[in-house]
Amino acid sequence: MTRVVLGDDHALVRAGIRALLDAAGIDVVSEAGDGREFLHAVRAEKPDIALADLSMPLLDGLEATRQISTTVSETRVIVLSMYGDAEYVRGAREAGAWGYVVKDDAARRLIDVIERVAAGENCLPADTGSFDDPLTPREREVLQLIVEGRKSDEIATIMNRSVHTVRNHRARLMRKLAVNTAADLVRVAEERGLTRLAAPGRKTS
Amino acid sequence: MALRIWIVDDHALVREALGSLLAAQDGIDVVGATSGENQDVARIEAEAPDVVLLDIALAGSSGFELIPRIRARSPETRVLMLSMHAEAEFAETAIERGAQGLVSKAASVEELIGAIRSAAAGATLPVSGLLTPRERDVLDAITAGLRDDEIAERLAIRVKTVDGHCQRLMRKLGIHTRAGLVAYGQRLQSQQDLA
Repeated sequence: MTRVVLGDDHALVRAGIRALLDAAGIDVVSEAGDGREFLHAVRAEKPDIALADLSMPLLDGLEATRQISTTVSETRVIVLSMYGDAEYVRGAREAGAWGYVVKDDAARRLIDVIERVAAGENCLPADTGSFDDPLTPREREVLQLIVEGRKSDEIATIMNRSVHTVRNHRARLMRKLAVNTAADLVRVAEERGLTRLAAPGRKTS
Repeated sequence: MALRIWIVDDHALVREALGSLLAAQDGIDVVGATSGENQDVARIEAEAPDVVLLDIALAGSSGFELIPRIRARSPETRVLMLSMHAEAEFAETAIERGAQGLVSKAASVEELIGAIRSAAAGATLPVSGLLTPRERDVLDAITAGLRDDEIAERLAIRVKTVDGHCQRLMRKLGIHTRAGLVAYGQRLQSQQDLA
């Protein structure tokens, strides 16, 4: 039976997808409401498939995909998203995803992609395009947490780093994106499509 | 007697996922699931479900438009809006148009079931966290990148007053930084475009 770890921050949608996969004979061994919990679960369970919603709080689906692709060889990632823009799909491919399913698609397609990827088929073959990304993984992590409205000491706790390190990342982020304030950082990052519009003020599940 | 539910959401996967979830609950039957086409209203009238779960953001139109049409054709049917976010402003608008309230997709299954039962009984769901018009003005200005002195000038108030509004905004929204307010304001604006 195919083992899946599921990550989506909308608890209702997550519960519904779980019900769908159960009915199709797919084993959801763990689920998570934020990207860090998701990464942790995938590392612990080493499932056949990690199903990652793009817009999870704390660590988005794209970053989770990158980290899983490079550190958990047993697991293949399928990205789930509201949006099917070519840029997002390309980003998922570059990050190492094996499949991309939009929420417009029927459940039948999601199950089909899961089964094909589990059987060894890459549903997102590499193309010649390149994805231009100026930020390092840690900088992307810090950026998302800033967008979520978290202060440096909170970010330090979440990332298990010193506040000093967090402030360094923040300073580099602002220099790279040529801004002087965190508020401008958020605006420019959104304009350049570097954030997934994670939700400030929302508690993680 | 089981509650009869109809789901309207233009994302097929979400529609099927919610349908699967609700069908598994005792005392709930899913009698229809559609994507928000024009003919839905007639089909809903014919089926007369107890509650319609209606997504705010439907392709090509907004869920808000469907509420009064459903209520007019099928007065026994209650409408419960679903949203990716649960901003109080949208809940208010939903209720004004004739819905019983709004539930976030980030809510738990238990909260959704509770909301469905309340809606079916004709109750209006409580709304919390509303922003005042002045607080909305300040939020819009922050989102546009204005500094406090610029906001003060634009709204003809003192800088100290601007700061006071900021503090209240952050407290009401559970956000701790200016950067967070900007991101929230951006999200709100992109959702406004759908309403």
